[in-house]
Amino acid sequence: MYHKSKGYKIFSFFNYIFLILIALSCFLPMLHLLAQSLSSKSAINGNLVSFWPVDFNMDAYAKTFRNTNFTGSMQISVFRTVLGTLISMFVITTAGYALSKDFRGRNVLMWIFIFTMLFSGGLIPSYILVTKLGFKDTIWSLVLPGAFGAYNLILIMNFFKTIPKALEEAAFIDGASFFVIFRKIYLPLSLPGLATVGLFIMVGHWNAWFDGILYMSSTENYPLASFLQTVVVQGSAQSMALSQSEAAALSEQSIKAAQIFISTLPIILVYPFLQKYFVKGIVLGAVKE
Amino acid sequence: MKKKGALLSVAVLLTGLLAGCGPVKKEGGSTAEATLKDGKYDPPITLTIAKQQDENAGKYINGESLNDNVLTRWGVEKLGIQIETTLLGGDAAQYNTKLRLALTGSEKLPDVLPVYDTSLENDLIQSGLVKDITEDINKYMPERLKEIYKEYPTAFNPVIQDGKVYGMPIAPNLTEGEVMLVRQDWLDNLGLKAPTTIDEFEQVIAAFTNDDPDGNGKQDTYGFDFSGKDSYNTGWVSDSVMIFSAYAGKHLPGQWYNEGGKLTYGSVAGGMKDALAKLRDWYSKGYLNKELATQGAWDALADFTEGKAGIIIGRPWLYGSVKDVETNVQGAKISAYPTISGVSGDKTYQSGQQNDGVFMFNKDFNNMEAFFLYYDKLYDAAFGTGDFKYGYAQGYDYDIVNGEVVFDSKAFNTPLDAVQGVGKMAFTKNTPSVDGPGKSFYDLAQGAKADTGVLMRSAANDPTTIAGYVISYENRDVLLPNAFNGPPTKTMQTSWEQLNTMEKETFTKIIYSKEPLESYDTFVKQWYEKGGTQITEEVNEWYTNAGKVDVMTNMGLK
Repeated sequence: MYHKSKGYKIFSFFNYIFLILIALSCFLPMLHLLAQSLSSKSAINGNLVSFWPVDFNMDAYAKTFRNTNFTGSMQISVFRTVLGTLISMFVITTAGYALSKDFRGRNVLMWIFIFTMLFSGGLIPSYILVTKLGFKDTIWSLVLPGAFGAYNLILIMNFFKTIPKALEEAAFIDGASFFVIFRKIYLPLSLPGLATVGLFIMVGHWNAWFDGILYMSSTENYPLASFLQTVVVQGSAQSMALSQSEAAALSEQSIKAAQIFISTLPIILVYPFLQKYFVKGIVLGAVKE
Repeated sequence: MKKKGALLSVAVLLTGLLAGCGPVKKEGGSTAEATLKDGKYDPPITLTIAKQQDENAGKYINGESLNDNVLTRWGVEKLGIQIETTLLGGDAAQYNTKLRLALTGSEKLPDVLPVYDTSLENDLIQSGLVKDITEDINKYMPERLKEIYKEYPTAFNPVIQDGKVYGMPIAPNLTEGEVMLVRQDWLDNLGLKAPTTIDEFEQVIAAFTNDDPDGNGKQDTYGFDFSGKDSYNTGWVSDSVMIFSAYAGKHLPGQWYNEGGKLTYGSVAGGMKDALAKLRDWYSKGYLNKELATQGAWDALADFTEGKAGIIIGRPWLYGSVKDVETNVQGAKISAYPTISGVSGDKTYQSGQQNDGVFMFNKDFNNMEAFFLYYDKLYDAAFGTGDFKYGYAQGYDYDIVNGEVVFDSKAFNTPLDAVQGVGKMAFTKNTPSVDGPGKSFYDLAQGAKADTGVLMRSAANDPTTIAGYVISYENRDVLLPNAFNGPPTKTMQTSWEQLNTMEKETFTKIIYSKEPLESYDTFVKQWYEKGGTQITEEVNEWYTNAGKVDVMTNMGLK
């Protein structure tokens, strides 16, 4: 038995250590943040908090949830993530289904899509486009520009291709149209793929901060990630002209920690429900028919 | 009449709110017919403004928001001026990006543009989208403001081009100077006095490192805590510039100094090498922050707050940020002292800021009068007059409890977690001040009665901070604004970044003993060769040109 061999045991040992280290490097920063968010301000400023709260208190959380900017941004983020994911999934699955078939001009279309993956217009043209379309200060500026991702399209398209042709043909014979086949056969069968790509998109929307800052001219319209970006990135040499009260507020690390922690929770909570699909989620060209 | 105004303002506010939900087009409003009646515009006019908003300005209470808060409402009620932020950026970099994007012309520029970056100021002037305001200042600037602007003619430098003035400095006023915060209990434990010269300073930090000042039997403390990450001249907190100035006088790292009519660059001036030699020696003996090269100005405070370091330098308010050590460590006590004197016996110098960016104006903006009216009113808080006698808004940044003015937010009628930055709610990221390095604190120390809002506010501070401000004011002559505040010159645009990197690396490597002290000489040589000579020439050319046309007279500021 190969797994009884000495070499294998040594390998497993180091493999476990290695994987545990990687897991810790993901977990410990979160634990540190949690400890900070539950500690007193003076302990944090003095660098006394590592993985266990010092002077335990929940003030930071109370303050965070009383902050209307935070809760408002949270709502926008949730709305944006749901809406953005729905739009993206609709666009990508319909396009992916069509492109998984053979038809005239398919390669040209595909090439055009791939082109957007390799070359983007850049910041200024995108900004001008979004502004001229009148999306500035609206939710559309967040969900529409990135709705169609060529990379995600390819994943979905390949997933559709793995579904046996015979199924489709049988459905045709039973009198189903393309739309019915798409809805009743392709979508249910490719649930793992949809879940995986859906999670990519969701996480992307949840974490995106730059577009919010770019297209919103009022903090009330910031999604959560943009809001956090303005709160957490502080104390650069540029903000030299500070007054006393501002300097005091600058060091409210516990509140920042609480806000970061709360903002990561939703996406962590979604993850376990999608995780079961990941096992067979994306198998790019792994099995040939 | 009043009702109509209120209705209109409600309408404007509603438009602002609706803008959040759909693509509602916002236009400047009916500015043409608005007339000034008894100090108030009727119908109200709208000034659109760009804003860099920091965390503190982003906190609103009572369900208020950026374009609808106690200060914007004040503007509409009292002056008939609605301030509307139409371009918003979070931190400095994002704000600059958004301003640059606005330059593409895809949307209307706001009427008022606060700009904090000299190269962007230059780009805006070049773009032709901003207004020459020489005449406007002459004609419309209120006398009170003129008096303030007269004192800081060099602050106009970045926005002068061909004898025309394309903007005005925001709140010209010299910043507060730095003080040396020392662990008084450590000094007392070891029977030492606060250092006044570089030798005494060395003795104190040596004792702080080796003689167990906190008496815990472990060698876990060190003397001097500063940051070297971004530069060796932070200008606000965790600064080390005092040590350089001790040897180089008015030549400070990273800063230009006018020496007999010629601008020279501090980092390559004589004396820097001696300072580096000293720091190198101290570092190897463990007197300095071990991680000084990786910790930013703000992060470096942590060692002091934890009770590991004995001396830190920064603006007087720094005490408020590090005083937690008095909670964390039993018996800890911080005192403020002036910075030490240099080897020549002179005081040591530090960089001072004389304004906070500049205001620029959309070339289609024709309500300069309204802008000045508004801006002048904001100064009421700095002078303690008018509507803002004690602060901007009762219940926000001050309160009156039982007939007494209170500045402690915890003692308000409705206690708040922190004082609200009302002054920032409608306009720039910082509020104007005329208190400079802390005159009000000095006056108080001289026995002045706290009868104006400014004095009362100052008097409400804790004793250590007050002592710090008094020191800062008494030593205000050590503040040196950077003599070069123009846009990056041609060669700077291509090689300044590289020269800066080389400078930082050389300084750090010498202090860390990773390179011999002599590599400083190589650095100076290379600095000149790789563009320094050319840059010095260009900087001096700029300096001569900036003083060529007497714009101050043209603006009526003489």
